[in-house]
Amino acid sequence: MTATDTTAAATAGTEPVLRLEDLGVTFSSETGDVPAVRGVSLHVRPGETLALVGESGSGKSTVALASIGLLPDNARASGRALLGSTDLVTDVVTASERDLAALRGRAVSMVFQEPATALDPLTRIGAQIAEVVRNHRQIPAKEAGVLAVDLLRRVGIPDPERRARAFPFELSGGQRQRVVIAMAIANDPELLIADEPTTALDVTVQAEILDLLRRLAVESGTGVLLVTHNMGVVADFADRVAVMLQGRIVETGPVEDVLLRPEHEYTRRLLAAVPRLAVAGSPAVPGASDAAARPGAGSGEEAGQASGQASGQESGEGSGAVAAEVPRPRYGTRARSANPARDSGTDGERVVDLRDVSVVYGRRTGAVRALDGVSLHVRPGETVGLVGESGSGKSTAARVALGLIRPTAGTVTLFGSDLRRTRARARRSLRAGIGVVLQDPVASLDARMTVQECVAEPLRVHRRGMSAKDRQEHVAELLERVRLPRAYAQRAPRELSGGQRQRVSLARALALAPRLLVADEPTSALDVSVQEAVLEVISELQEELGFACLFVSHDLAVVQHFAERVVVMRAGRIEEQGGTMDTLLHPGTDYTRRLLAAVPVPDPVRQRQRRTARQAAAAGTGPAAGTAAGTGATA
Amino acid sequence: MSTFLYLIRRVLQALAVILIVTVATFCLLHALPGGPARGILGPQATVQQIAQFNHEQSLDRPLPVQYVAYLGRLLHGDLGTSYTLNEPVSQLIQERLPKTLVLTLLSAVVGLLLAIPLGMWQAVRRNKPVDYVITTLSFVAYSTPVYFLGLMLVLVFSHVLPWFPAQAPQGDTLAQVFADPAGLVLPVVAGAASVVAVFSRYMRGATLENLSEDYVRTARAGGSRRGAILRRHVFRNSLTPVVAMLGYYVPVLFGGALVVEQLFNYPGMGLLFWTAAQSSDYPVLLGCVLVISVATVVGTLAADVVQRFIDPRVKEGHA
Amino acid sequence: MSAAVQSGRPAGGTGPSAGAGTGGPGISGLRLAVRRFSRNRLAVIGLAVVVLFFLFCFAGPLVWSTDQTHTALTHANLGPSGAHWLGTDAVGHDELGRLMYGGKVSLVVGLAAGVLATVIGTLWGAAAGYAGGWIDAVMMRVVDAGIAIPALFILLVISAIATPGVWGLILILGLVSWLVPSRLVRAETLTLKNRDYVHTLRAIGGTHTRAIGRHILPNSVSTVVVAATFQVADAILLVAYVSYLGLGLQPPKTDWGGMLSAGLSATYSGRWWLIVPPGLAVILVVCAFNAIGDGLRDAFDVRGRG
Repeated sequence: MTATDTTAAATAGTEPVLRLEDLGVTFSSETGDVPAVRGVSLHVRPGETLALVGESGSGKSTVALASIGLLPDNARASGRALLGSTDLVTDVVTASERDLAALRGRAVSMVFQEPATALDPLTRIGAQIAEVVRNHRQIPAKEAGVLAVDLLRRVGIPDPERRARAFPFELSGGQRQRVVIAMAIANDPELLIADEPTTALDVTVQAEILDLLRRLAVESGTGVLLVTHNMGVVADFADRVAVMLQGRIVETGPVEDVLLRPEHEYTRRLLAAVPRLAVAGSPAVPGASDAAARPGAGSGEEAGQASGQASGQESGEGSGAVAAEVPRPRYGTRARSANPARDSGTDGERVVDLRDVSVVYGRRTGAVRALDGVSLHVRPGETVGLVGESGSGKSTAARVALGLIRPTAGTVTLFGSDLRRTRARARRSLRAGIGVVLQDPVASLDARMTVQECVAEPLRVHRRGMSAKDRQEHVAELLERVRLPRAYAQRAPRELSGGQRQRVSLARALALAPRLLVADEPTSALDVSVQEAVLEVISELQEELGFACLFVSHDLAVVQHFAERVVVMRAGRIEEQGGTMDTLLHPGTDYTRRLLAAVPVPDPVRQRQRRTARQAAAAGTGPAAGTAAGTGATA
Repeated sequence: MSTFLYLIRRVLQALAVILIVTVATFCLLHALPGGPARGILGPQATVQQIAQFNHEQSLDRPLPVQYVAYLGRLLHGDLGTSYTLNEPVSQLIQERLPKTLVLTLLSAVVGLLLAIPLGMWQAVRRNKPVDYVITTLSFVAYSTPVYFLGLMLVLVFSHVLPWFPAQAPQGDTLAQVFADPAGLVLPVVAGAASVVAVFSRYMRGATLENLSEDYVRTARAGGSRRGAILRRHVFRNSLTPVVAMLGYYVPVLFGGALVVEQLFNYPGMGLLFWTAAQSSDYPVLLGCVLVISVATVVGTLAADVVQRFIDPRVKEGHA
Repeated sequence: MSAAVQSGRPAGGTGPSAGAGTGGPGISGLRLAVRRFSRNRLAVIGLAVVVLFFLFCFAGPLVWSTDQTHTALTHANLGPSGAHWLGTDAVGHDELGRLMYGGKVSLVVGLAAGVLATVIGTLWGAAAGYAGGWIDAVMMRVVDAGIAIPALFILLVISAIATPGVWGLILILGLVSWLVPSRLVRAETLTLKNRDYVHTLRAIGGTHTRAIGRHILPNSVSTVVVAATFQVADAILLVAYVSYLGLGLQPPKTDWGGMLSAGLSATYSGRWWLIVPPGLAVILVVCAFNAIGDGLRDAFDVRGRG
């Protein structure tokens, strides 16, 4: 609390634009009342960004919606939510819908998580922005249209006059989010609420949107309430942080204090679970390139100055001092390192091998190249990380490897057999060697089956002769392997949490003792602490059972900790591939460099440096040339 | 997919559907008791006449060959000759079709003008008494056979209260039909009842779905009032699926016209068809089925194109 | 006419309700569905109405015994009285007894035809959706063509050719009304075959048979049940049209539609008891099945669209 008071003193004289006092929110559901928020008090001052962080179900989004009076109909709020600093303070909790409408878009506005659905699909974006303007200003439609174009320009939409006449579907996700932001700032609100504004976006777009929000907030002195689960985003953007757990705030303070010297045990656990991206040094920092050639040496310097204070706070695994700059095996105990000796020992033997694979949808002019001449392979026992942004083709490549998508050109060899030349029956038995874990914990398990039936499915396909009793025993063992109680076999998937469901998927994947596990974003729908546990289980089992793993992820930090080799994809092509250390510490292409530079790290001091470096690079002679010049020596 | 490509693809699909319908009518023709010869020559034809006809018309040749010939006749607008009215079927249909189109169109328009606001009203007042009352009424309207409803209408609004005539406007031209608007009221109401029932339910559902969309929340966050959001955003977004639905509803409208025309003695295609059925006038029956099906396919196509026009998003055709 | 015959159904549902699970009712999901259904007042009333009508038609004759085979012209066209609560018809059958007797036919034919249509539609739709590609395209064009010919027109053509019995009626009605359910099931299959658990099964070498039998069909059960309920409602309504179109059963057999059509001539002579009871019976039962379908759709959180 002392920390909060210091900040308050620093900005003394300015009244908060939002003050929550003992806010409570309860949802009435089919199964009874569920309290979502309990006794939350906080404030946001003009020009300040308060980040509300927590895992799913912590109530952070509910607080945001309560602050603007947009709670769903089945929610009841208690306490006070005072909005406005100067002229008129309104209590959102008790205000009428009419009064709230007069406030929304003028005194307070909001940016939402999902830009794909946030805009009316049938109304031109200029008209949607103009509508917000005209909600609060008595001006002719034409004038509002001109203002809308200005706003589009302010949020960095190129050619705004023309784009104002576009429909939302004609814009990319990032651009749509810019339009939502333009609507939010249309009437210069005192408070901007941003609910996971970049969660649905790629990391490079995320960086741009965060830059934009920061610039707008600074320009207009708007207070920002930022709701996020991403500690990197917090470090990048917030002045103060409030950590929520089960509907309550457990810790509040300036961002440096909370992220680097967390006091509450939960905050520490949360931070320890965040996979951290190790970098050889910011590409644009002069001199870094030289040192970067020797992993660990040059970067240790930076670690010392920036994250020194962080060491000792990290209570994750015994050895897992995150401050160290060299990536370490984070999950499991096996030392994962790019071990060339091991690679050469088994050279030639490949579990799965994609050669010059292309996947084309549609024909002629409408054709879309989902994959374009992709060659990659996985060797026995190794983990290959497949990374890229949305649309890069990483999932398509994984599905080709799984035989779910037939390549338009190129060959796929599975366990030494060319899939095109094998007969259907032989192909099916080959596939017994594959285990699969996919992204969505809900869609991965058939809701009509019990856990037992889900896990036993591969056995029913390939071990027809197995007796029911053996099968049951085998499933029980598998559940124990993934650290789930045996008794869970009789449960329905819907009774399990997301992390538990993914473990069930993993148990199913391991049922036939596969030689290859294909995991497509297996943890991206999970909270960080759950993600950590799931990845640890995979890692330990891999060590024990020795299967190879093709690991698809958009999260560079996770891949860095998890994979020995990495394949970076972009727009259906392979951008570069190599050992994880080499590729992610000393990327060979600008794209990978930009990708790495855009990842926010959960350390506000270092993130500020990284941001400055990234922006400097981008502002140079064009983004590509800038970064290339900075690290030219390494190449 | 560009709009142009979409149109071409959609038209090709429609043609394929029409082709399948012709196969169906061709099969029906051959499934008739006595075969197509009996169907075309009429019930009085002798065995010799039929044999002769079969030979002249190449009906003793393989079915695929006959089908191609049949298609050829259709392409020339030859639907055969009615053997009770002794007129070319195409000419009969040409006289009657516009009247049926007027009746169905009026029913659809009147029905939709009521259904759309009712459905939105229900959605806004969801689970309130108004919602329950309209829902119940729409169930009743949906569940009442049209002939029963029509008869009740006549009983109440023509016999008990002499407001409207019990018979639809007679006369051969459209002008004569429009000269007697009072006579159209009861047939149109009878035809519109199920339109109101179905489309108010549909509009209610679409509106509810849209009210829970994210863009409504965005608009509210920008300070738009509920009424304005309904008017400017929800209405149009809910209307697109309703228009698509209208395409599927075209055959139901024609089916309704069949009964309404018979009931009110309205000289449209429905009545023509009805009379033909009573006298087993097969050329007329099959000709009507074919024309009604083509009209349905065209109607569905039109609804799809209109929907595409309202909704700028690129959509995959359903194939 | 009956919107029944071919329309896709309006999504009159309540939209996604909070916390609704995906993928149909699982083990404990069924309990949730039952609770949701029982909270829908109209649906519960509908269920009660259906149960009452079944009791009326099948148990009623045990209490109210009448002769429905022999004519009794001396007792023709009597008004309601203590001996004949709902009067008698033009050939002297007791109208209340006839309502029970005709109701049996209407309910049985409606149920059987509705179920038959759903079964055909389910198989056709599932096959088209799962096969995909050109097979799907051809199969769906056939459905489009079927939908393009209004059912009442086909029924009238058939009536010009033949006079079927009860079984023939069921067959004909089933064959003209399977198109809408086939569309619904195809759409559902398209969604289900792209579920991750089906992908997973295919990737490890599971067969199509297993994918369809163990995953796709069981998971479309709620969609199919909802579709079947609406289909039964439509079939009962269609049965009511059948006599009117001249396809009806031969006396002394009858159904509600037959009674209604026969009574129409009596409209202006004031013998209301010949049309109001069968008319109300049809409307009530069809409404009830529709309300049940509506309730089931919301309870299972199924999207039912044409």
